[in-house]
Amino acid sequence: MILTSILLCPIVGLLAILATPARRENTVRFIALAASGASMALSLYLLTLFDPTDPSFQLVEHVSWVPAYGIHYTNGVDGLNLTLILLTSIVIFCGILVSWTVTYRVKDFFANMLFLVTGVFGVFMTTNLFFFFLFYEIAVIPMYLLIVIWGSTNKQYAAMKLTLYLLLGSALMFAGFLYMYSLPGAHTFDLVWLKQHVTFSSAVQNVLFLGLFLGFGVLAACFPFHVWSPDGHVAAPTAASMLHAGVLMKLGAYGILRVAVYLLPDGARTWAPLIATLALCNIVYGAMVATQQRDLKYIIGFSSVSHMGIVLLGIATLTPAGVNGAVFQMFAHGIMTALFFACVGWIYDGCHTRMLDELGGLSRTAPMIAAFFIIAGLCGLGLPGMGSFVAEFLVTLAAVKTYPLIGVASILALLITAYYVLTAVQKAFYGPPNPHHADFKDITPLQFVPRAILVGWLVFTGIFPQVFLNWISVSVKALLGA
Amino acid sequence: MTAFLPETLAAAALVLMLSIAVAGRLTGRFTWLTAALASAVVLEGAVAAWSSEAALFSATYRIDAFSQGFKLVLALALLITVLASRASSVAAEREPEYYFFLFSATLGMMMLTSAADLLTLYVALELSSYSLYVLSAFKLDRRSAEAGVKYLLFGAAASGLLLWGLSLIAGLSGTTHLAEIAQKAPALAAGEPIYLAALFLSLLALLFKLSAFPAHFWAPDVYESAPTPAVLFIATASKAAAVAILVRVFLWLGMPAGAGWALGFLAFVSMSLGNAVALVQTDVKRLLAYSSIAQAGYILVGLLAGSFEGYSSVIFYAAAYVLMNAAAFLVTGVVAEAARHDNPQLSHFDGLAERSPLLALVLLISLLSLAGIPPLAGFTGKWILFSAAMDKGHWFLVLWGVLNSVVSLFYYLTLVKHAYLEKPKEPGRLTVGPIAKGMAWALMLAIVLLGIFPDGVIGLCREAVELAAF
Repeated sequence: MILTSILLCPIVGLLAILATPARRENTVRFIALAASGASMALSLYLLTLFDPTDPSFQLVEHVSWVPAYGIHYTNGVDGLNLTLILLTSIVIFCGILVSWTVTYRVKDFFANMLFLVTGVFGVFMTTNLFFFFLFYEIAVIPMYLLIVIWGSTNKQYAAMKLTLYLLLGSALMFAGFLYMYSLPGAHTFDLVWLKQHVTFSSAVQNVLFLGLFLGFGVLAACFPFHVWSPDGHVAAPTAASMLHAGVLMKLGAYGILRVAVYLLPDGARTWAPLIATLALCNIVYGAMVATQQRDLKYIIGFSSVSHMGIVLLGIATLTPAGVNGAVFQMFAHGIMTALFFACVGWIYDGCHTRMLDELGGLSRTAPMIAAFFIIAGLCGLGLPGMGSFVAEFLVTLAAVKTYPLIGVASILALLITAYYVLTAVQKAFYGPPNPHHADFKDITPLQFVPRAILVGWLVFTGIFPQVFLNWISVSVKALLGA
Repeated sequence: MTAFLPETLAAAALVLMLSIAVAGRLTGRFTWLTAALASAVVLEGAVAAWSSEAALFSATYRIDAFSQGFKLVLALALLITVLASRASSVAAEREPEYYFFLFSATLGMMMLTSAADLLTLYVALELSSYSLYVLSAFKLDRRSAEAGVKYLLFGAAASGLLLWGLSLIAGLSGTTHLAEIAQKAPALAAGEPIYLAALFLSLLALLFKLSAFPAHFWAPDVYESAPTPAVLFIATASKAAAVAILVRVFLWLGMPAGAGWALGFLAFVSMSLGNAVALVQTDVKRLLAYSSIAQAGYILVGLLAGSFEGYSSVIFYAAAYVLMNAAAFLVTGVVAEAARHDNPQLSHFDGLAERSPLLALVLLISLLSLAGIPPLAGFTGKWILFSAAMDKGHWFLVLWGVLNSVVSLFYYLTLVKHAYLEKPKEPGRLTVGPIAKGMAWALMLAIVLLGIFPDGVIGLCREAVELAAF
């Protein structure tokens, strides 16, 4: 019951917070920290239980929920969601720590955070499409409230846009899932059963895959459905941006792999060139737009769009190496972008601006936060020794083999990434300091911890990528049927 | 006689209210207290009569798990309405009469769920309808009177069509017993085009109760102008009763070929129209009225499936529907009372989260449930409803229904935004009585629990459909 225990940590925390009076703010904070800490500890423990040589779902849990409609509460892990569960638990733990500075409606804030993360954990561990959908939408609604209540910069517009986009995507998923259920021999929402007992004709695969890809693609910020994401990231409060860019966007890519590619391999082969093309648009367009942004958060928002393109490109190769890279990129990018947003959040709290032109020279007054940001930046531009390097290397290598033109173009796009990351670092942290921010304080010891944890994981993924690839590769092979 | 207990008790409560009205006013809150106790007893009776099975009055009145389940839902809606009426100034003026009509409407609806004969069906429907006409005109001002008259005129027209349709059916089949008509239905459907026309006329009148297109236009005006507690009752009990009789008729008479297309079209328009018009509403009760038109469309999609799964999921959805609408109107009623304005606009909900966190949360949960967001009852209901429809190949309506749910979320979230984001116009906290508080908690828990653990209730719904068929 280890998986359910991980899921129960935030739920229990949520209930405890709801039972706590709103004025006891520190109690609320510690409950949230304890809940996310417990889920992180359990996720780490989960790593020790996992057998990387077994390609099937492990630690399977099964409870019949509504058997008449093929709804069962089933969980299971393989290398794919193992890494993502770990990622989620790390990001939420650091996110809760980073949110220590939240003072407005503290109880509601942490309740929403825990509710959100319940949804994310749920999506990653379930193997039943009903619960997949249920948890997916559970993750969307608290995001709306987090942005609209605690957000900044055009928050009402961004929140509504994000919610409607994501739910539009989920509407396609909903119809797709129900269609699978209605196929002869199915009458269940169980992924494994669908894979083993239902034959999808190639016409069905082509239509269904496209529908599901569009549905999941919205959340994965696939071009041209990415428009919700930069606005959403910018408007969201720091911890919500961390979770959103770090974890939630991965839900979409995960869904493409876990549901669409797994169940509909022929459909995937039909549409792979389209996905690769869109992925290239993501990579290039995201990076180009990022060069034109003046707001630090918009830069990171568009860089996320660009980096999600690498994930999608990896998936589009449909080769074990490419998908390995994609999954690894999900983890590495999740940690990296969480670190980015954690740094920008601190800067915004201190300087009350995120505009590059109004910052400058921050590395003198605040060397630590500058160092953290630069580490994230170096990872973002794919410096060897950082996790992203390995991931991008794997993906582009596979892409060049499958789609030579797109592969080469994506490598060139990395130069643009280097350009905007270095410009941002140079403008914000070097150059003449802005006297307005003379009293900008560097990071406190408490706030040092979450960012240090993230940096630790970044370096770990860069130096020991084999650890992760070991978990991932066997399951990816099984998933692709290779 | 346990089988007939809920109806007997409702009738007794009705007589009791009549005698109070005749004998003179009771002082203080005694009338309300009596009504509340009486409706609790009716609920108790519905629980006691839960598992009975009988065919009464020369088999014109059928008592089975199906009817008893709906009676339980109706009794629950009655109790919620009576409890919610306590804070309402509308009910206070002529209390005994107000409760009298609530009980008579409930009695009519309960009879409707058991009707196994065309005459019983008609009489039961009229008993409930006329009580609701009076209730919606209860405020004694022009708008309320206008609502009552509109409701009455359209309702009378609908009931005329129903009577016409029923008389044609009775004439063609030579009997008024639904069971006997059901036996002749396939032959009639194949050989008599008039039979189809008659069915359509009757269906139109039943769709009127459900507020589905094309018989939807009374809903916005009545919801807007009728007293809020009465609207609560119309929006919950009356819809549940409509679902009951629709399922019973479809289950017994079957769906004639060609009717599927017509019904699908009605569902399509109902969903689209309700949601599209709701987008621009600023009056909350009107907004909920249009949302109920859209919801009627979803229910039609389930009916359209015409399968065992379809009918049982429609019943489940109806139960969820009663809970979430009751919660939404409960909050609307409290806000309306506090603002001394029985037509609360979106702006009246400003800052509700600060004025009363509990009510804001209940509103949030009920609206999200209406929009079909998990893990709430409305979501689970919609999921099984649509999976039953998908199973019968109605993929387009399902896709359209889900897309409509996304549209609906826009206006539900607009209301949420007013409650959670805007600054309150009036300072100070909202006074919420202990009864309203208790109901708020109970409804909220029910919506959440029914959403997460639906299996027990789904099982009951399936059993009900199984036993209702013959």
